[in-house]
Amino acid sequence: MKRSVLAVVTALAFVASFATTAVRAQSAAPAGYDFNGMPDMSDFDPATWTSPTGDTIKVAIVASFSGPAALVGQVYWASAAWAAHDINKRGGIVVDGKKKLIELIKADHASKPDQAKRVVERMVLQEKVNFLWGTDGSNLQKIINETANKYKVIAVNTASLSDDLQDATNFSRYAFQTSMSADQLGRGLAWYYGQMRKKERKFYILDQDYSFGRLLAEGFKKGLKEYYPDAQIVGEDYHKLFLTDYAPYLEKVKASGAEVVFTGDWIPDAANLLKQARQMGVKLPFAHVFMDEPNFLTEVGVEGTNGLVQISQYGTVGDAFKTPEQIRYYKAWNDLWQTKWKTAPFNTPLFQHPAGNIGSYIEQTEWLFSVIARAKSVDPEKIIKVWENDSYRFTNGKMLKMRACDHKAIQELHILEFVPPGEQKQSFNIRPYYWNANYSAAGPIHAVPSKAILPLMDTNLDRCKGANPAGE
Amino acid sequence: MNPTTSMYVAQGLHGLAYGMILFLIASGLNVIFGMMGVLNLAHASFFMLSAYLGYQVVALTGNFWLALLLAPLGSALVGVAMERFLLRRVHAFGHMGELILTVGVGSIVLAAVKSIWGTESLQLKMPAILSGRVTIAGLDYPVYRLFIIGLALLILAVMTLLLYRTRLGKIVRAAVSDAGMVNALGINIPLVFMLVFGVGVWMAGIAGVAIAPILTVFPGLADQVGMDAFIVVVTGGFGSLAGAFIVSLIFGLLSSYGVQFMSELAPVLIVAFMAIVLAIRPHGLLGARDS
Repeated sequence: MKRSVLAVVTALAFVASFATTAVRAQSAAPAGYDFNGMPDMSDFDPATWTSPTGDTIKVAIVASFSGPAALVGQVYWASAAWAAHDINKRGGIVVDGKKKLIELIKADHASKPDQAKRVVERMVLQEKVNFLWGTDGSNLQKIINETANKYKVIAVNTASLSDDLQDATNFSRYAFQTSMSADQLGRGLAWYYGQMRKKERKFYILDQDYSFGRLLAEGFKKGLKEYYPDAQIVGEDYHKLFLTDYAPYLEKVKASGAEVVFTGDWIPDAANLLKQARQMGVKLPFAHVFMDEPNFLTEVGVEGTNGLVQISQYGTVGDAFKTPEQIRYYKAWNDLWQTKWKTAPFNTPLFQHPAGNIGSYIEQTEWLFSVIARAKSVDPEKIIKVWENDSYRFTNGKMLKMRACDHKAIQELHILEFVPPGEQKQSFNIRPYYWNANYSAAGPIHAVPSKAILPLMDTNLDRCKGANPAGE
Repeated sequence: MNPTTSMYVAQGLHGLAYGMILFLIASGLNVIFGMMGVLNLAHASFFMLSAYLGYQVVALTGNFWLALLLAPLGSALVGVAMERFLLRRVHAFGHMGELILTVGVGSIVLAAVKSIWGTESLQLKMPAILSGRVTIAGLDYPVYRLFIIGLALLILAVMTLLLYRTRLGKIVRAAVSDAGMVNALGINIPLVFMLVFGVGVWMAGIAGVAIAPILTVFPGLADQVGMDAFIVVVTGGFGSLAGAFIVSLIFGLLSSYGVQFMSELAPVLIVAFMAIVLAIRPHGLLGARDS
């Protein structure tokens, strides 16, 4: 009798453990893009798309829509509008019992802090936006976050890369950083060279002399200590932004014996640096973040861009398109680019692929909409409750998790090795089997595991005292 | 040549090339600001406009030399129109009027280039014949930078000859010195000034096309080079091409050797030199007119 009772109890316990696991698995399954409901996007044109108005979910896209960085605003707009159009074609999101469409409003800061402050306040107080989406420039994102905190509006940082935006001094529970950080980028490249590639040992750091350039370099040096102690920094220089002549720096690089030049330069500096390097006969590979603008890569050519190594916030190991749904998602954008979009800059190679930064901005926006849908509300407290500890899967399989204590996204990053067009099918596995015919671009793609590049956690922030940096 | 010597010599060449880049950018401003006393804050915008026009000519024809010929002329035409129809009307209001007007023109030029060419970064293709490298005393040096050095020297020679060896140059110098007297002698002063302004903008245009192949043509190009031009003109002395040339050279060498030996302080060296020169000679190194 006792033996049979024991057997039954054991069996019940066994079954219960499976049920518990199944429930745990179900509740832990990350949210992601709903491919099944993907609407017909063939009417979308970023040049002419207009937002619905009325009783909508209002999102201010805070960016440079004028001034020298105006192109950045257009990239953000196209990306966010694509995500919004997708939702609107599905009928919108149910919030507070009612289906509402997404309305996007341009908030132009023209890269100026005083203008940023005025425009963000206007978005909150006059336009009564529910969300602030931003922005290019951590100094400007700080202004957005401060305003969000003041008026209790949710701010999403999709593009600014400074870790201190979410540190003890600046943290706001209304601000969420879905973007990567400069520190993660630097450490990620160090991890790749030390743990995966294990070939070159001598690095020259040549970066812009401002906060991002310095933070990126610090992250790289820290990462080398941790992941590649045999590596040597054979030179380190920081140049002013919008430098005209790189030749003196490149001469030092040549003399240093460097095997790789590490840089976080962005356009136009990234373009001028690479162009002048190749003109001077400096053929070293650049480990970079932003050397991906098609026009200058075309100018430098296949040979000059071969061997570049980029760390990216958007990628997937192996084939870029693993399922029919992923191909459909990609082609929805690319077909329109090829056939419908006639207005610059949207008809230029920069907008050809919904990948790279554009892909990331689209999917970070889709994450925001997913959070709203699951919160069933735009109430900031409900958004915060859903988003903290939330996991989300991009369409290409990349996983992100919102660390609860400081609202930073734990995420893997990807290393793209640039190869000639004939070898790009290592990642671009559908016709025409290359990302671009005019220059070297992504071939092999590797993942830097999220645990190797956890975002910095400031333990001076009370919420993070005793917290696990991995968000577990 | 041993590697260290080779590096120092190379830095000297880089300084020379960068100095000539600065001279090319500043020479046109020197002519306008120095000779006419006109504060043309749209100067860098004309530099940028010419770069865009040059890009367009190369994109259409594939011919860099045609771009070098036509783009500066295009910019000069816009400059001449600006002087004829706008600037002339505000002379009476002094420098403040000129400043405000030229800032406005600069904004219009920026809006126009964005409207026509968009906001993306463009590349002006270097001519194949200038895209290689030559070996000089064991040193590998880009041909294009030698071209820039040669072009700057040519501009200096031509402008010096024009100003000091031709009747036209005499008239211009006389008009700058005493417009009333020259006018009384029957010389059309407004036409002379318009010509000088046009030549100044043309020189900015030459710089725009010549330098674009090593840079990126984008809406912020004017901001990128504008301040450099003013610093050279002020330090070299208003109206002195020789002063601008010497100061450009010094700035170029300070920049390259500054990066070589004290990289973090390199940008400060140029400003420090300017401060020292102006402290000793407030009109600039070879300046002669009152500010």
